[in-house]
Amino acid sequence: METSVKSKNLEAFRTAANTIVNPELQKWMDKGGKVMGYWCCYAPEEIITAAGMAPIRVRATGSTGTELADAYVSSINCSFCRHAFNMGLNGEYDFVEAMVWLNNCDHVRRMYDNWWRKVSTPLTRMMSLPKFTGDKQVAWWREELVFFKEGLEKHLGITITDDKLREAINIHNEKRRLLRQLFELRKSDNPPITGADSLAAVVASTSIPPAEFNQMLKDLLEELKDAEGIKDYSKRLLLVGSIFDDPSYVKNMEDIGALVVADNQCFGTRAFAVDVNESIKDPLDALAKHTIQDRQHCPRLFGEYKRRSQYVQDMVKDYKVDGVVGLRMTFCDLWAGEYYMLNLDMKKAGIPFFYMDREYLMGGTAGQIRTRIQAFMETL
Amino acid sequence: MTETKMTDQCLQKLIEERDTIKMMVESFTQSVTEGNNLAEVPTKAFVDHHNELIRRYISGEPFISSYFCCAPEIYTAMELPWSTFLTPAFTGMLNPNYQAEVDASGQLFATDLCTIIRQAAYYVVSDLVPPPTAIIAMMHPCDGINVVHQLMANDEKWKDVPVFGADPPYWDDERSLAYYTDQLFEMVAFLEKHTGLKLTEDKLREVCEESNIAYALWDEYSQLRRAVPCPHGGGMGLQVFGTLTTNLCGQPEGTGWIRDVIADAEALVKQGKGAVPDEKIRLLWFDVLSLGITMDLFPWLEEEWGAVIVMDMFGYAPYSQLDTTNMDTMMRSLAARALNDVPMIRQARGLADLFLTDITNIVKEYKIDAVIYPGYMGHKDGTANIGMMREKCRELGVPFLTIGMDFYDDRYTSPDEVKDRISKWFESMGHTPKSG
Repeated sequence: METSVKSKNLEAFRTAANTIVNPELQKWMDKGGKVMGYWCCYAPEEIITAAGMAPIRVRATGSTGTELADAYVSSINCSFCRHAFNMGLNGEYDFVEAMVWLNNCDHVRRMYDNWWRKVSTPLTRMMSLPKFTGDKQVAWWREELVFFKEGLEKHLGITITDDKLREAINIHNEKRRLLRQLFELRKSDNPPITGADSLAAVVASTSIPPAEFNQMLKDLLEELKDAEGIKDYSKRLLLVGSIFDDPSYVKNMEDIGALVVADNQCFGTRAFAVDVNESIKDPLDALAKHTIQDRQHCPRLFGEYKRRSQYVQDMVKDYKVDGVVGLRMTFCDLWAGEYYMLNLDMKKAGIPFFYMDREYLMGGTAGQIRTRIQAFMETL
Repeated sequence: MTETKMTDQCLQKLIEERDTIKMMVESFTQSVTEGNNLAEVPTKAFVDHHNELIRRYISGEPFISSYFCCAPEIYTAMELPWSTFLTPAFTGMLNPNYQAEVDASGQLFATDLCTIIRQAAYYVVSDLVPPPTAIIAMMHPCDGINVVHQLMANDEKWKDVPVFGADPPYWDDERSLAYYTDQLFEMVAFLEKHTGLKLTEDKLREVCEESNIAYALWDEYSQLRRAVPCPHGGGMGLQVFGTLTTNLCGQPEGTGWIRDVIADAEALVKQGKGAVPDEKIRLLWFDVLSLGITMDLFPWLEEEWGAVIVMDMFGYAPYSQLDTTNMDTMMRSLAARALNDVPMIRQARGLADLFLTDITNIVKEYKIDAVIYPGYMGHKDGTANIGMMREKCRELGVPFLTIGMDFYDDRYTSPDEVKDRISKWFESMGHTPKSG
């Protein structure tokens, strides 16, 4: 199964998803542009952009082992963290000027402690993300944003004005809108783009400087307008889970007749389903409200489960989904509980659902995954 | 009290727990002093407490689910009994069906989820524990505890039970303290609303003052454990923690009991007697404990190697005092204790530095020869610190061992394998076992 359109933009997105430093990011750095890595999609990309840096979400694409990291963390720590930390120890993230973590899970929280001790990133920051979504949490997060902004200003010797923040919010909102347009195309019976390529576009959106990415995606959307739709699939799937950034995982499923048409993932709709409200006068107020209250949440946030479940159920209807697949990173406690609850809700709603554990890198598990997806599709 | 309620399936675990507690407490409180039964007070307190929970469930009077890290002095002051829903899984290890229940929980939840949390969640969804009047959710230090409260809040049978969680910040600065203090005030308002009970300043002061005395005595007891040989075995630290922060938190009975523990320890120190007659290795066990550990591994360490757990994560706390000047200062210092003092929360919630600081302080203050980080499978944040801990121990000049264990399921790493790992480690230090 392939996307029919031949597009240099799509090719660039595929390249971006398969590399850490893509050509567009390299060009940015060649011109003297600085890069800041972030470990979770709750991180304020807009402030990084307003600081004049290119925000990239940390991945471990291309990692081949965890030998160095294993001296510091154990085998029950998530494989994404181990691979990414290993790349840091290997010097593969030496190109970043700064890195930010949130206390979003037990594993990532500790990557901060390990990283600043062992990797020579010029600026490392931690942010305290609330676990609830009330107004007091919005106020807390706004303060965290202020500290983050001030930290960047001090480190870079710059001032991040409100106008710069508004401009950055506008750029990132445009990115969100464009990605939503791309996903709209996937609702059709014969979508013009595969799930693997859609994921590549989302991954690219977190690693190509945003303004440039927006133009590339606009061009791709034009190219896809008249593209021939995909017909050679048997079932439409929706993926639910945490970090999932490798399009070859999706291709592996699509090679056996599945078509992945939607997701509730952080390299996915959770990151762009809702815009930052640009009508709120203070840009930091707008960012804080967006992160804590408006956006789609993962299980890290308490009291949001019903909304998350409904979000999946709505997408099942909108995208004409045949079955929902949970992809849980082994050792991820947050998603262990989520899938239990989601399984009950999906049963009640009559939506076929199953979940499987996976490692960050597909490696030698491709066959097992195909078998399980195939078995699931046969039950549909 | 109705016949139906007395036989409710959901009381099963609470009754089992009550009935196994005596054995548990006795294992923790063994002393070489003859005729001094240090188990009596905590055992009675646990049994009375469980009887009260059962009575309240049957009569419809309020009781809550909460934790040692959520300012339990407030519950004592409100005369509000509380249970930790993890406890049945902890004590359930003595149940002959425990392993089958662990397997059953593994059918529902991923088996790499903390076993005690998974097990407790299984009891909730299987209707084996009684729904409380309200839940004070523990929101830190791990992801598992966050998730399991989401599960409780959405469970079909528990969904109408109101839930409150105080939002824990990552930092430990003044701003974080003010934020968490405000959360505790919200918690009190929530409890008053849902239980009909009131918190008064005078009563809270009385409880906090009692708690202060008990904490000062806890500190005094910990100082006695510095003695060579260490007067008590490894389980006593956890028992002191458990008694003073749960059932007898802020209560004179708890204070009286810790005085007895101190008197016992003092007498032993004066006599030069230790938990083992010939103490050879003084250990820091830097993690939680379980029945299997305290009833099998610790006695084996003492008997086979003359090795004593002089300090553990739960026995060690800063033991800071509560400021009882007024309501604001009490709530603020309760918040500080909840964030910065409570074992496990203290180390695992924020920066990893407190892991290292505590190891450093304990090694120096308690004349520790070697450090074991057992690497409980539920503690993913801790297992991501092993490199830092190893380097710190190297710097301190003490051997460090990490194992990888499930304290609540022996099949993860068998007791024989654990003992073998520890034996080889001791041998590498030049020690020889008593059995030759």
